[in-house]
Amino acid sequence: MHAVSFRSAATPPASTSRRGALRLPALLILLAAGVLAPAGIACRDDRAPAGSAADEQVFRFRLREDPPTLDPAMTSDNLSEAITANVFRGLVQLDPETLTIVPAVAAAWEISPDHLTYTFTLRDDVIFHNGRRLTADDVVYSFTRLLDPAVNSPRRFVLEPIDGAGPFAEGTSSSVTGLTSPDPHTIRIRLARPYAPFLGLLSMVNAAILPREVYDDPQRGYQRSPVGCGPFLVSRWEQSNLIELRAFDRFYGGRPTIDRIEARIIENLVSALQEYRAGGLDSLDQPPAEDDALYEELKPEIRRYPYIATGYFGFNLAIPPFKGNPALRKAINYAVDKKYLWEILMPGGNIPAHGIIPPGIAGYDPNLPGYPVDLGRARSLLAEAGYPGGRGLAPFTLWSNTSEDNRRIALQIQSDLKRIGVQVTLREADWAAYIPAVEGTAEKPGQAQMFRFGWNLDYPDADAILRPLLYSSNIGPAGNSIRYHNPQVDRLLDEALIATDPQKRAALYREAERIAVMDDAVFLFLNYYESWTLFKPWVKGIVLTPLGEFRIPLERLRIDRSGS
Amino acid sequence: MTGYVARRVVSLVPVLLAAATLVWLLLFALPGDPARLIAGGQSVDPRVLDSIRTEWGLDQPAALQYARYLGKLLRFDFGTSYIQRRPVISIIRDHFPATLILALTAIAISSCGGLFLGALAAFYRGRAIDHLVLLLALLGTSTPVFWLGLMLMLVFASQLQWLPVLGYGSNGPIVPLLGRLPEWDHLILPAVTLSLISLGATARLTRAGLLDQGDAAFLRTARAKGSSALRAFVRHGLRNALIPVVTVIGLDFASMLGGAVATEYVFAWPGLGKTIVRAIALKDLPVVEGCVLFLTVIFVLVNLAVDLLYVWIDPRIQYGRGPV
Repeated sequence: MHAVSFRSAATPPASTSRRGALRLPALLILLAAGVLAPAGIACRDDRAPAGSAADEQVFRFRLREDPPTLDPAMTSDNLSEAITANVFRGLVQLDPETLTIVPAVAAAWEISPDHLTYTFTLRDDVIFHNGRRLTADDVVYSFTRLLDPAVNSPRRFVLEPIDGAGPFAEGTSSSVTGLTSPDPHTIRIRLARPYAPFLGLLSMVNAAILPREVYDDPQRGYQRSPVGCGPFLVSRWEQSNLIELRAFDRFYGGRPTIDRIEARIIENLVSALQEYRAGGLDSLDQPPAEDDALYEELKPEIRRYPYIATGYFGFNLAIPPFKGNPALRKAINYAVDKKYLWEILMPGGNIPAHGIIPPGIAGYDPNLPGYPVDLGRARSLLAEAGYPGGRGLAPFTLWSNTSEDNRRIALQIQSDLKRIGVQVTLREADWAAYIPAVEGTAEKPGQAQMFRFGWNLDYPDADAILRPLLYSSNIGPAGNSIRYHNPQVDRLLDEALIATDPQKRAALYREAERIAVMDDAVFLFLNYYESWTLFKPWVKGIVLTPLGEFRIPLERLRIDRSGS
Repeated sequence: MTGYVARRVVSLVPVLLAAATLVWLLLFALPGDPARLIAGGQSVDPRVLDSIRTEWGLDQPAALQYARYLGKLLRFDFGTSYIQRRPVISIIRDHFPATLILALTAIAISSCGGLFLGALAAFYRGRAIDHLVLLLALLGTSTPVFWLGLMLMLVFASQLQWLPVLGYGSNGPIVPLLGRLPEWDHLILPAVTLSLISLGATARLTRAGLLDQGDAAFLRTARAKGSSALRAFVRHGLRNALIPVVTVIGLDFASMLGGAVATEYVFAWPGLGKTIVRAIALKDLPVVEGCVLFLTVIFVLVNLAVDLLYVWIDPRIQYGRGPV
């Protein structure tokens, strides 16, 4: 290549050209400074959110992703819940503090002595977001819609205890016979059999009351523009950007103090933390890890509170080595040091578990021994299982869903088990591949021999966790991934379901849990969950509910910046 | 010339067919059951799974599913997202403008900046500014976008608080066709982040191309005619050097349109890249297919535009008449 300096050829006076050449860069630098300086002067101010009037109450929180849908018949994850719990209301709801059933759209109800008929008297001041008054017809419509085979809801089990729901959902009958409205203010529901937690089911968002004229739309406009009767309405949903809610003036419970809510979609936690620090968010659902530099700075703003959910590693009971070998399962339970795991290795966020039913739920047994770490017993049980010192036991697979935390837990368990001579092969998969390996199908087991799982209770009743996880007819994707089949446990759960005395029910659940935990060691019992949420000091009225951070009632919040 | 353009456009068809088939095969082979993901939640009744499979045609043999899919494509029906249950077209319409605006801004920064810096470096070859530009170019092309984005965010947003941390902003103006525009200050950091790799490459190519012009006859003529060295340099040298540079700018722009995933992730930008990645994770085949096909069309059209641009830059280049 010819290396030519242009200034060596015949050129006009050097000074002119050089000055001319430098003019351009100088100009550009001035231009850049001119653009950025005003931005610097209008500095980020974390006092009032951008675009709001000075006294408008705005609450901004973060969602990791867009909810897949806001149709109550279709929602089954907690991302949707963050929005739907504030936009919709059903006949009853759960008090976020006491977890008892309280009135919502229904002002009062009566249960017949045989516990088969529920009669609800509706409030007469419930207005939908489109201005129309709610009547009993809307209740019949909404419940029928959830069961409608054409709608194909994955959550229709919520209303299946209603008499006639089954045939209707299968398409063999044209209406749900047990669901009637004798007059526009009354709903009568007849169950096929007594079902103790039925009101708990009715508190789920899938049983929300919807206006027919919106939800019959064949174009499905309601998916992006939901209409309910809750304290907030959806004013806009900009995909992957934000979902905005506004206070509904005519909410039957009174207009909320918060005027506007922004649910901002931010997937990356690191970025979300920076946004929280800068004042762009009033709350964040994931605090920084303890070893993160931000932890010390944000610690005073972290709120910790129980969450009704349990974590464990399931044993696949349909395939070796755990099939038919309770001693092996108990040995593994004794070998893993849960206290170390949750108090030292990964402190905060979880409490060591000794069973399945989490604290706060009737049936929880604080005296259940569980399996505190005991290497001696672990080794002797391992020998009893036919693998003294671990000899003869082929390495089995331990699956977890891809995440930093899950990986650390899996590594710790692998190392704990090595101490007694048990070899474990770790497998990681993303959710799409994980689920089939773990759940299998209703007929065939998955390939995962031991797998990480957690279960959060949809309503505060032991049935909500024990039935899906342990009942034999739920083997497979219905929840019983370990493929457990114990007729005694089945019987106890059935008895508890139709019993009506809360003490008796609690006793039955305690017994069922004892069998599953102490006799059959169905899981490696690991943790009861806690929620950890960041809140800015100016957010007041926060109810830290065991139902989870996305069920914190936003209509009770208010923003008060006067203190800071 | 029109024949040439027409032929290029028609060549889209086999390209699209190949892309559609490839994506379909890959997604089909990935582990995971779309029906289970559509149902969502921590448990699902197996009867519901069966009915979902029937509803979406997932229980049919592979060949039949593929044939049905191709059939819909031929009717310009991109299908419905499994997860969002709405037309793929509206998903693309929701996300593409954000990616387009980001890519346009980034390519404007990188091409103007790259051309300028490259010219500067070539003009002052061997001097400090040349080395500085080369260093910047090296950093630009070798710095991971993810890290760079976070660094810029930490410095300019968190520390200095000159710019917003992330996002699109919720108060941008709404225009026809594109929908809501981003708030302008939200655009700066992501666009700069995205532009830096391309800026480095453009600068180096421009510099190299210009240095190749070295002592070309036209430059001597130009200087003899009395133009200042720089102006001659830019007006005549640059045009000749532009062909490879324009190629790279075109390729970079096309790739920004489809692959700004890291930037979109760091800055929570509601673009198409994140949408596709998310759809792959959820085995939402119609969305992945639709977006890939859409981006393939864009890519081919951008390349066509670049090829046509060559003609303007260098009139010696002709199409459709065989070798010159």
